[in-house]
Amino acid sequence: MTAKPKLAFYWAASCGGCEVTITELGMRLVDVSEQADIVFWPAAMDFKYDDVRAMKDKEIDICFFNGAIRNSENKEMAHLLRQKSKCMISFGSCSHLGGIPGLANLFDIESLCQRVFDTTPSLDDSRGTRPQKQTLMPEGEVDLPELYDQVKCLSDITEVDYFMPGCPPVVDQVWKVFTAALNGDLPAKGSILGVDPKNVCDVCERDKGEPSFRIKEFKRPHEVSLDQEKCFLTQGIICSGPATRAGCGTPCLQGNMPCRGCYGPAEGIIDQGAKLASAIGALIDTDDPEKLQVILDTMTDPAGTFYRFGLADSIMNKMKYE
Amino acid sequence: MSHSIMIRTFADEVKSIPGGEHLELCYSCGTCVSKCMIQQKVEPDYNPRRLLRLAIMDLKDEAFKSPTTWMCSECDLCYQACPQEIHISQVIAAVKKLAVEAGYTSPLTPVSVDEELCSGCGICVMVCPYEAPSLYEKEHNGDLDRLSEVDANKCMRCGTCVGACPLGAIAREGVSNTEITSQFGYVIPHNPLLVAFVCDWSLREDADVSLLESYPEDQVKIVHIPCTGRIDPQHALMALDSGINGVLVCGCKPGECHFKRGNHVAKCKISLLDAMLKQMQLNDKNIRLVQIGTQERGRIKYEVDDMLSTLKAPKEAIA
Repeated sequence: MTAKPKLAFYWAASCGGCEVTITELGMRLVDVSEQADIVFWPAAMDFKYDDVRAMKDKEIDICFFNGAIRNSENKEMAHLLRQKSKCMISFGSCSHLGGIPGLANLFDIESLCQRVFDTTPSLDDSRGTRPQKQTLMPEGEVDLPELYDQVKCLSDITEVDYFMPGCPPVVDQVWKVFTAALNGDLPAKGSILGVDPKNVCDVCERDKGEPSFRIKEFKRPHEVSLDQEKCFLTQGIICSGPATRAGCGTPCLQGNMPCRGCYGPAEGIIDQGAKLASAIGALIDTDDPEKLQVILDTMTDPAGTFYRFGLADSIMNKMKYE
Repeated sequence: MSHSIMIRTFADEVKSIPGGEHLELCYSCGTCVSKCMIQQKVEPDYNPRRLLRLAIMDLKDEAFKSPTTWMCSECDLCYQACPQEIHISQVIAAVKKLAVEAGYTSPLTPVSVDEELCSGCGICVMVCPYEAPSLYEKEHNGDLDRLSEVDANKCMRCGTCVGACPLGAIAREGVSNTEITSQFGYVIPHNPLLVAFVCDWSLREDADVSLLESYPEDQVKIVHIPCTGRIDPQHALMALDSGINGVLVCGCKPGECHFKRGNHVAKCKISLLDAMLKQMQLNDKNIRLVQIGTQERGRIKYEVDDMLSTLKAPKEAIA
């Protein structure tokens, strides 16, 4: 009998949603565990980093790595798992594009620390705390991972074989990828897995393409009563669907919420945020140029909206940090 | 009691269409021709005065075949100048409507939609100043695919849809995404200091164009676009990413866009890009939009020199 393939799951800078999506496989996880050995999964099972260190190089067949690279622990584990894995899959938006943690790249590290440790409303008072690499305690010196000055994607620091987008990747796509991986049916290296062709609009059923429609004011979903049948853009709501890869099965749209862009740029798009600015910018009502700024001011956070999941992978990010 | 107009002549037909009513106010002064950019830049036979005359003289067939009928982009520079205050573009549109009904077709090549790439998102339908694209459903592998199609008689080839299309599904020859990006650093090993995206209509004089083209290639690379509505902020970022120091987008003054609203579209896009660069604490001065009026001859050189001087400054400081 040939040995079962070995799987590993790891989370770096992430919220845990990617772990939840794997547990959502439910009973299908039992099938996975019959066909494969899960040799490392800190979120669900009791493994230690030393267990991984003790493995032979390339002993793990497939590693599903979620989360962005935010600190030295994330980086160390990424390198370690790369060394021990035959195939490394960048799993979820944070690992793929930086995700929500990547938005921290809009700020410098000191202003982030000020917010977290000094001015968060739930803090009674600021003690000027800052994370220290080493701290001397009565029991001895303790270490914390080093916080980096920018959030990176997994592929920025190590070789990645496949990418699987989504915040989190939807469970049906996860199952398809698991099945393909266990049957040795994965496509060419470098491919994006668990996705569909074209963009979210391609699979969105709403009424679209109102001739000469112009946005006169940007609104946020909670400010209006949203029509279930109409394109969000024609309701003044920013929807990232036009520039976002399909594959999610549109749960947000069905919940009457606009696409937020977590599946990353669709094929042919190099910079998701800039392309959204190009598509949505062209819709702004500009017959009166004086009013342009007034309309633009109704969009509270352009970078955070257009690059919600992809900032760390954007050209602007490269310009800032290189 | 309702008024009914007796339609006896071609001129009556034109006048019966909303916008065509003022046809006979024209006394053929030719001010419209002197203002018209099409006549000056692309088609010497383009002549609004003559078209209105053909209509008044019942020369229907000549009117339908005239390039004027098909090439007017409704910029309305002539409307502002007409001493009789005739909304000439609307009269021309009335002639065009009749021409289309009579089975005549536009000599212009419209933008094309790649069905393999189009997702039917409808962005092109919304942004087009001429309402040329529309969505239709087509059977594909048993499913109904929603796709965009372009009415060849309405498309004025401004490229606003090309810039807005998220999937690069719309092409206009010369300004597809790869045709634009291949003109700067992504392919060329030696980058210029500045890449200038120049609207084909913003520079009134040939002298201005040759002035712009006189800069050495290592300083200014000119990328010609039909209208600044074609601009894609992605290309501006890609230019900077490939080592180019600055991006200058040259379009027309508000109210003078050859394609109704392309200059406003460019302003919106560049404003959004500026806002995002600021949020990222990046210098937003290296991507600049200038809007040049039809009367501002020679201004382009001033704008390019000004941008070049700011771009050179840090390099010299380092040296």
